[in-house]
Amino acid sequence: MNHSASPGTGQPRRLRPEHRRFALVTLLPGLSLLILLSLIASVGAINLAFQDRMLRFPDAAYVGLENFERLFRDRRFANALQVSAIWEVVTVVCTMLLAVLLAILLVEGVRSPRVRNAICILLIIPVLLPRVSAGLIWRFLYSPTMGAANYPLTMLGLPPIEFLSDPQIALYAVALVDIWQWGLFFGVVLAKLIETLPKEPQEAARLDHAGTLGVYWWVALPMLRGPIIMMTFVKAIESLRSFDLIYTMTAGGPGISTETLDLYAFQQGIGISGRISYASSLSVLLMVMTVIIFSILWKRAARWAA
Amino acid sequence: MRNRARQRWLDTAALGLTAVWLAAAPDAQAQATAEACAGKVPEVRVIVQPMPATGHLDTIKGEFEAKWQTKVEIVQYGENDRRSRSRLDASSGAGAYQVYYIDEANVAEFAASKWVLPLLDYLPKDYDYEGFLDARKAVAQWNGTPYFAPITGGGDMMIYRKDVFAEKGIAPPKTLDELKQAIAALHSPPEMYGWTARARRGSGMNVWRWTPFFRAEGGQWFQDGEASFNSEAAVKATETYKDLFQFAPPGATTNTWSEVVESFRAGQVAVIVESDPLALWMEDPEKSRVVGKVGFAPPPEPLPSAGYAHGLALSASGNPDDCSKLVSADFIGWATSSEMEHRRFEAGLFADFARKSSLEDPIFKEKVPAEYIQALAGTSPRTSLLIYDGPEWPEIGDFLGLVLEEVLTGTRDDIQLSLDEAAEYANDIMRRSQRQ
Amino acid sequence: MGRVTLRLGGGLLTWLIVLLALLPVFWTILSSFKSLRDIVSPIPVLVFQPTLENYRTVLTTPAVRDGLVNSIIVVGSALLIGVVLGVPAAYALARFVRRLKGDIQFFVLSLRFMPPVAVALPFIALWLDLGLYDTLIAVIVTYCIVTISTIIWLGVPAFEQVPRAIEEAAALEGYGPFAVFWKVALPVAAPSLVGAVLFTFVITWNELLIALALTSRNVTLPVVAAGFTTLGMEVPWGVINASSVVLALPPLILVGLIMRFIDRYFSRPAR
Repeated sequence: MNHSASPGTGQPRRLRPEHRRFALVTLLPGLSLLILLSLIASVGAINLAFQDRMLRFPDAAYVGLENFERLFRDRRFANALQVSAIWEVVTVVCTMLLAVLLAILLVEGVRSPRVRNAICILLIIPVLLPRVSAGLIWRFLYSPTMGAANYPLTMLGLPPIEFLSDPQIALYAVALVDIWQWGLFFGVVLAKLIETLPKEPQEAARLDHAGTLGVYWWVALPMLRGPIIMMTFVKAIESLRSFDLIYTMTAGGPGISTETLDLYAFQQGIGISGRISYASSLSVLLMVMTVIIFSILWKRAARWAA
Repeated sequence: MRNRARQRWLDTAALGLTAVWLAAAPDAQAQATAEACAGKVPEVRVIVQPMPATGHLDTIKGEFEAKWQTKVEIVQYGENDRRSRSRLDASSGAGAYQVYYIDEANVAEFAASKWVLPLLDYLPKDYDYEGFLDARKAVAQWNGTPYFAPITGGGDMMIYRKDVFAEKGIAPPKTLDELKQAIAALHSPPEMYGWTARARRGSGMNVWRWTPFFRAEGGQWFQDGEASFNSEAAVKATETYKDLFQFAPPGATTNTWSEVVESFRAGQVAVIVESDPLALWMEDPEKSRVVGKVGFAPPPEPLPSAGYAHGLALSASGNPDDCSKLVSADFIGWATSSEMEHRRFEAGLFADFARKSSLEDPIFKEKVPAEYIQALAGTSPRTSLLIYDGPEWPEIGDFLGLVLEEVLTGTRDDIQLSLDEAAEYANDIMRRSQRQ
Repeated sequence: MGRVTLRLGGGLLTWLIVLLALLPVFWTILSSFKSLRDIVSPIPVLVFQPTLENYRTVLTTPAVRDGLVNSIIVVGSALLIGVVLGVPAAYALARFVRRLKGDIQFFVLSLRFMPPVAVALPFIALWLDLGLYDTLIAVIVTYCIVTISTIIWLGVPAFEQVPRAIEEAAALEGYGPFAVFWKVALPVAAPSLVGAVLFTFVITWNELLIALALTSRNVTLPVVAAGFTTLGMEVPWGVINASSVVLALPPLILVGLIMRFIDRYFSRPAR
């Protein structure tokens, strides 16, 4: 999160030769390895996408755009696109909302710095849990017959909610886990940032009879606009990694109601069908989409955050 | 240091000599290599799915390890995962497993792709392959060649709560119509649900249980070279199958067979139709609340009984050398012998058996409810392989399974359109496959 | 709305959130000590005879032990490579690159939003062709994409926070660029860098998809844990809970360190 001020306060000094050499020696190995590996990944994926390679057969032929044509007729692809979009929007928006509310609560509600620090430590535990663990934990909680999430309902004699087998609910039930992990974490980070803000503008606003929430809305949060935008951007990137949670919790089901693009590509390529060329064509599209969208967002975010 | 080098050289020479000798004297082959191979195979890795039989194997594998001075590792995955992981291992040539657990649904795929070796060529000479039940042998082969040694299998059985039926004065149904009426009559949630069945996607999951309904309507997988499981018969079968889920417990629409067993054992469900080995799981006093209250009968007419078998096969890529083939095949022979089935019975595990001798086993006859044995006899003549038996089946079946799951969970309403899509997909797969 | 009410209600609400947030974790730990009978009970069982049976099962499963060893080797090596190649690169990027800086930073970041499945599929094909499929080396090299790029990405701001003046002072003393990096910049930036490395550790330790695709025998711990869920025969919830705890322990041990990192990173006056 590069929210700190712009680098080197802009003296246009020329680099000395030894600095240039140092930069070359240190940057070259890492960057060339990264470039090599990412080229292998992208060229490899594109190459596969134009073939009809399947795990079951040793040979493969080039089939041109056939995979892509089929992709655009594929109902599951369209569905996965929609599921991924919903996932992205829901997890990013809810995470940031939770984070902002939690941060205000932490700063306003808990005065003792030591207690606040202790709470903060507890609240970053969820984000450190491996996604697989988190998925398993919540799958257990969501169980209609023995899950803790359903105890309150069954105690009142209400029928249990089928969190993970109801196609209307399942995606949001999984998204809640993601929000639980990241929202709490970002809440802690935001609270730390709010603590660093100068107090005078807020006090001034308070003298103008602004309510506490008003002070935050009009004064504190705008001061943190940069970090908040960067956090939103980071969350948007992390939300692309929904695979682990969905794989352990629903495996895309019920039906295809939680099947995101990467899960669908995985199921096609590795999990169930072994059609790795078809899956590659999907992942190539996914790659192109994310690169375009995030390049634009990155430029925008950098400008808004400035 | 030098000693070890010499030893290695000697070993190589011995191996080379044995090989020459083997080629010359095929008769003495088994024994000679057996001696040379003890201690030569560091590890036999077996991928299985958790079944009473595989759990039992894990507890006694020490015997086999001692015999060959090898290490046996039994790696467990659930059914769907077991299939996809062994497929990935085989197709990638990784060869991480020497022995695969395969079944009627993927034996054609594995055999046609040459991922498994023709088993009889490698089994010990005195191994009794003929002793397997005919129904098991029938589904353990591809194009007439046996590829796995069955460890469990069976057909379908209606499993019902005798007490619940008696209380309402309802006789065990003999036909599908009677079954539907009984389910509706016995359904009184939340204490008792009329019915439950597999609904989770998968050629071995919802498709497996749906298939008898489909075949009962006269459905065919392929007609004139085109997929025909979008026929009227298929639509009707799907409607029936879906309708029955209104009598199932909450969450049933993502059931695997394991959860079907669970809810019956928990006493939540009045009647199910399931694979017959699972019927005996209901009699496990440690895990079942319905011991002694369970009735067994052949599936109601006109439902046919879906025959299947699971067993052990020899991986091609996992056994690159002769010793490894020999030891792995010996493991399969050991794990699927009639003695082993008898030992399982002695250990109180009756669900998994595949041999004629087991049906005659005195312990089996004594400990297993007579009603079960009778139902088994009634269901056997109606048992056959109901799925399409080509190498393309796993893919076709899995896709159909997905579509069925969508229909069952209510994310799709148009059954005809859904099945059309699955059939079109199957045609694609067949064309791709024939091009090879 | 009065400030006092908000504070009182806020305090209460905060504790409620903390409670709710931690309930799942607490419940899992509790359940990992329960026998299956107590777990499947429809009414929550709070008083029970604790058992270590689940942990015994998990830790004696050879797959878990192998998975743990593989995870340590894979994550350790990839992290080491990431640090060795990434940290000096981050420093050079922070100090000596002007024109290309933005582009390189964006490239490094863009690797983070490359879909993992788009990495996994071609690498299956590559490692198969090289005969390295299902080896730890293959996984380590593939993970280097993640470790190097993340460490560079987080390392640049860490070095930018080092006051230029002390570096310039060292240079006047006759230190060459490498000595300035090693003796001055690195020690000053170290606490923030530790945070960057920890963050990278957490994301590689938790990685599932690539490991799932690239290994058959040499699986890492997340793959093993994910495999438990699909075990057909009576879902072993106790074992699943115990394995979640075992898998989560290494990152959780670091929670204190990571908190200190967050403090360093964010609790300084915004400039």
